[in-house]
Amino acid sequence: MNCEVAHERIVAAAYGELPDEQIHELERHVTGCPECQEDREQLLALKVLANAHPVLEPDPNLVARSRLRLEEALDALPPKRWYERLTQRITNNFASMQAAPVAACLLLVVGAGAGSLGGYEMAQNRAARAAQTFQTQTAQAAATREQAQTGPAEIANISSIVRQPNSQMVEVRYNQVVPQRIQGSLNDPAIRQLLMLASENSASAGVRDDSVGLLAAECRAGHSCQAAGIRDALMVALRYDKNEGVREKALKGLEPYVGEDVQVRDAVLEALLNDSDARIRTAAINILEPVEADTSVRQVLHSVANTDQNPHIRNVSRQVLSRVPEIQ
Amino acid sequence: MNGPKSAEERMQARAPEMELIREAQAGSRTAFDALVRQYEQQVLRLALHLTGSEHDAEDIYQEAFLKAFRYLGNFRFECSFYTWIYRIVTNLCLDQLRRRKTRREDRAVVLDRSGDEIDLLASVPDGRSFSNPAKELDRKVLGERIQEALTKLTPRERMVFELKHYQGLRLRTIGEMLNTTEETAKNTLFRATKKLRTQLAGLR
Repeated sequence: MNCEVAHERIVAAAYGELPDEQIHELERHVTGCPECQEDREQLLALKVLANAHPVLEPDPNLVARSRLRLEEALDALPPKRWYERLTQRITNNFASMQAAPVAACLLLVVGAGAGSLGGYEMAQNRAARAAQTFQTQTAQAAATREQAQTGPAEIANISSIVRQPNSQMVEVRYNQVVPQRIQGSLNDPAIRQLLMLASENSASAGVRDDSVGLLAAECRAGHSCQAAGIRDALMVALRYDKNEGVREKALKGLEPYVGEDVQVRDAVLEALLNDSDARIRTAAINILEPVEADTSVRQVLHSVANTDQNPHIRNVSRQVLSRVPEIQ
Repeated sequence: MNGPKSAEERMQARAPEMELIREAQAGSRTAFDALVRQYEQQVLRLALHLTGSEHDAEDIYQEAFLKAFRYLGNFRFECSFYTWIYRIVTNLCLDQLRRRKTRREDRAVVLDRSGDEIDLLASVPDGRSFSNPAKELDRKVLGERIQEALTKLTPRERMVFELKHYQGLRLRTIGEMLNTTEETAKNTLFRATKKLRTQLAGLR
């Protein structure tokens, strides 16, 4: 063993990371080498010195402060649950996704000089066909539904490459993005799932507008929209969408439920207080008519009557307040 | 400390935590809070020691757990939750260290009255005190010297030294957390200790 290797092993040994069989060998070398002995001494000295900067237990106040701040931040996040349920249902129904990453695993034979490109293309075709068989296997009551793959499957990324030891065999895991198209009726749960996904996820305001409009129409028509979480999607769109047209459509969709659903009422109250668009705030006041007498609604109306920037809105709030007698 | 547990023993020890994680993934805020309480002390301890600032440690705590909350769905049990959380924290700490490095570059050079550069470590105690660490040195001064020397390491070297020397983790775990191999972590540790020894020995 030369000293260079010894120096590295001295560090490993000092931190308990040297394999047992190498410890003995190192000892033998160091015993006969003054330079390495000094090296080891200096390393041990470093370890002692480093402890002059000790690890301290965090102050309980720091822990408490940090936890409190975290809880507040988590409370402020929009409700995650409906979206998680949604994503779960979507991943369970691969076939219904517009753009589904399909994980495929194949063995590529890599031989010396073998055309690995040929193997790659063969793998791509095989995976695309595998994806299609998978889809047909999981497609459900699709009598009203028409689906088609609208583009060639693209490889999105390679997630791992593992070579079998002592062989030419290699396992490659990769993910594909498969563009899809689906047609069907609004009653179809798969279509609804996509609309809800689009309401939050689409980069284009036009697409969000369309989807929120369709979902809102469903809700207004009284078609069952709570179980599938459409109401939640509309509330999220009302609160977070950057486009006023989209928010307005969401508000209209929620109108029938203001009276019966406290969460909807609160979402509308929030819009009345916080929305930047005066038209939306006005619409919110009108929508709150069935619950005018509620204490929290009155409180918000009081606040709006005094502080809203828009004089018309302040007026309307006052009118509503004067119309409804106070509840004892 | 006992020898390494068998894979099965480790799985069993992890079972209640796995339940907690699954519940948290399903949306249970209570379960997530329980996870936070299990790891918050360690997270703060690491962040505090690395950054030296309660304020920075708090920020790292916040970012780490918010990230954990947000990406909990991606956790597929392929590693322990401990490693997963630590990976998030170490990456945030590395970002911190890198930000500090860029800021420090502005005042890396200190000039004395005649305009000559001062070597900040020129006033490190000479070889005598170093080769006799048992000698009583002012702990505070020494602590500062160490911290100064630590800042001279690259963020990764600093991170590996912190995790190995101060937090006592195995090199293999450190490799997992930093998304690299045990071998690379070992080499990084070696470079770090070499640099630190040079710094603290003064001029050679």
